[in-house]
Amino acid sequence: MRARLVRLDQSGILPPMGRIVAIVEDDPGIRANYADMLKKHGYQVRAYSDRRSAADAFRTQLPDLALLDIGLGDEPDGGFTLCRELRAMSAALPIIFLTARDSDFDTVSGLRIGADDYLTKDVGLPHLLARISALFRRADLLAQPPATEDVLERVPLRLDMKRFQASWHGNTVDLTLTEFWLVHSLARFPGHVKDREQLMRDAHIVVDDSTITSHIKRIRRKFQAVDQEFGAIDSVYGLGYRWNA
Amino acid sequence: MRLSLRAKVVLVALVLSLIPWVGYLHLTQMDALLRQGQEQALLATARAVATALHDRPELLELRPGAPASGEMELILKSLARAESRIWIVDQRQRLLALAGDLKKRAPGEERGAAAPAPLDFAMRMVRPVTDFLLERPTEDFDDALSEAEIAHGPVAASALQGVPARRWRHSPDSRAVILSASHPVWAGEQVVAAVVAEETTNAIRSIYNRALEQVVAVTLIAFLAGALTLILFASRLSMRLRRLRDEAEAAIDSQGRVRKLIAGSRAGDEIGDLSRSFSTVLERLAQYNSYLENMAGRLSHELRTPIAVVRSSLENLKMQRMPDDAGVYLARAGDGLKRLDTILTRMSEATRLEQLVRQPDHERFDAREVVRGCASGYGAAYPQKKFEVEVPDSPVMLSGAPDLYAQMLDKLAANAADFAIGEEPIRIRLEVRDSQATLTVSNRGPRLPEAMAGKLFESMVSMRRPDGSGEPHLGLGLYIARLIAEFHGGSARALNREDGSGVVIKVKCTLAE
Repeated sequence: MRARLVRLDQSGILPPMGRIVAIVEDDPGIRANYADMLKKHGYQVRAYSDRRSAADAFRTQLPDLALLDIGLGDEPDGGFTLCRELRAMSAALPIIFLTARDSDFDTVSGLRIGADDYLTKDVGLPHLLARISALFRRADLLAQPPATEDVLERVPLRLDMKRFQASWHGNTVDLTLTEFWLVHSLARFPGHVKDREQLMRDAHIVVDDSTITSHIKRIRRKFQAVDQEFGAIDSVYGLGYRWNA
Repeated sequence: MRLSLRAKVVLVALVLSLIPWVGYLHLTQMDALLRQGQEQALLATARAVATALHDRPELLELRPGAPASGEMELILKSLARAESRIWIVDQRQRLLALAGDLKKRAPGEERGAAAPAPLDFAMRMVRPVTDFLLERPTEDFDDALSEAEIAHGPVAASALQGVPARRWRHSPDSRAVILSASHPVWAGEQVVAAVVAEETTNAIRSIYNRALEQVVAVTLIAFLAGALTLILFASRLSMRLRRLRDEAEAAIDSQGRVRKLIAGSRAGDEIGDLSRSFSTVLERLAQYNSYLENMAGRLSHELRTPIAVVRSSLENLKMQRMPDDAGVYLARAGDGLKRLDTILTRMSEATRLEQLVRQPDHERFDAREVVRGCASGYGAAYPQKKFEVEVPDSPVMLSGAPDLYAQMLDKLAANAADFAIGEEPIRIRLEVRDSQATLTVSNRGPRLPEAMAGKLFESMVSMRRPDGSGEPHLGLGLYIARLIAEFHGGSARALNREDGSGVVIKVKCTLAE
């Protein structure tokens, strides 16, 4: 049996100690490096090299967070399959795709089948850690009744900074972590133009310009899904984007 | 000398001109044979007359003032040939009898069996020419039998000596050739008279002429038909080849894309083979091109994993306690990694864009706003360069994606800023002409190298020299610009300024309806 140290800090958030992070990655070098790094930061790490062994292990015990590669050994879409299985087992389990594939198609597929975030492998470890702890924070707070509020209000936008939840006119908009950070970065100072560099920094990602473009496109679509008239994100050509108050 | 296919085939057709020559040789031979036959026949006539008169000296009694006796006349008439004249002369050169006429009795062209219609027509066509070239036999000649001929003609003289003779001579007015043959008339051991038979060569002459006319006509028909067929055939061949050549030349357009050949691709002959094998070659070229174009994407994908290993290893290493001087090396490794990242980012940018432009979602936007917005940002992005912007007064509506259009302008501006020299500002102009929105970015600077013409917009093609700045140049910027231009239903071109002082890049996009 796993001895789980449950020690709440002031904010009521679990420290990393004892949390289980599962890494499913077929490259032994990356697997070992990520495992070492996460261990150093106090996580318990389970590393798997293929879909089958990971799925077997998950059936016995679910991890607290899963980092999945998409191409696993001889299964080019093994990660997607695994993500679907995991999502079927737990709706709340944070899942991050960490992959060398960066096409829009893969990103959209990954997010559609229930991943919380999609990162390419050129993300730095600090950025990855920031995400992991943010997702844990969100998972924890979703499980608890709201004790304290940390909310950014730009009527009709409402950003719950603890649960990383966004709502528009009271309707929840289902954003990934990266998207949430982008919206937050824009909405914090309405009317100010944020260039792509700033957006990348705020969202803890390092990508090319057109990836930012497609992120913004996806965010607009998600908002438009709850409000046809949504037009709060302005493109300022040659500079970046701006939140329209 | 450069001869076209058609000219060569026509030259080959000249072989047909052997036909009239062979025909002429044949006719000459025939002419000789006919003449020989005529000589023999005439000689035979003379001999027959002589034989008939043999030993009948009473018939040869000269009765001055009286015509030949009835019996003599009968002999001569029965033995004479049409259009021939027979006369008999005695040892004293006295004309004993004369019968027949050298001239045709019923003048008029009798041409034997009519030739087949096309041949007849052709013969009539060539007649003016042959009339000019050939000597036509005439019935209008002087057929007088002169005293001299009777008295001193060598033929008669020879026969009077007892030796048969024949001779060709011209009529006194030289308008006809007369053949005479003679035979002695024996009375015992003595020659008492000479029989001379005469005929013109007119009959032979007209047969000869007719045959020659026919040969010329046949040759002409054969030559015309042959040459026409050959020219048609050659024209068709050269037309097909020309079409294949034109298409092959246009198969690779200025943007390096490869089209399939259509000309002759279904033909079963060698040209079809040529077209098909050319198509295969082009197809391979297209595959190779697309392999090159996708290489950036694949490379970035393949490199990402090993780079992730290096990065995560370095980051793990940073958390260890390390000797003091290790920091320098870590920093250098970090720098190298950052550069690799930049390369990867650029390579994947092109790939992502290729995927992006395949999506069909287009929106209408005003290109003026994009251009103005972008241009206002360039002042900050390139502080050393000046920019000059010119847009029309009315909206320029395009169908596409404003973000991509801006990205394209960014690439063009970055390109111009890299090459611009001197104080002259970089000119960005948007104008509308013929329902096309043309965006031009023009800068003073080095001209485009000739060898790069049409290639600049291909993937991984760069004309920059390594400048030691460490900024990687992958030759993807203009490729991206081209992809975006095509996404907006347009094309991109790079030209030298007319005065050679710099370079103009033009992007034409179709206006939205």
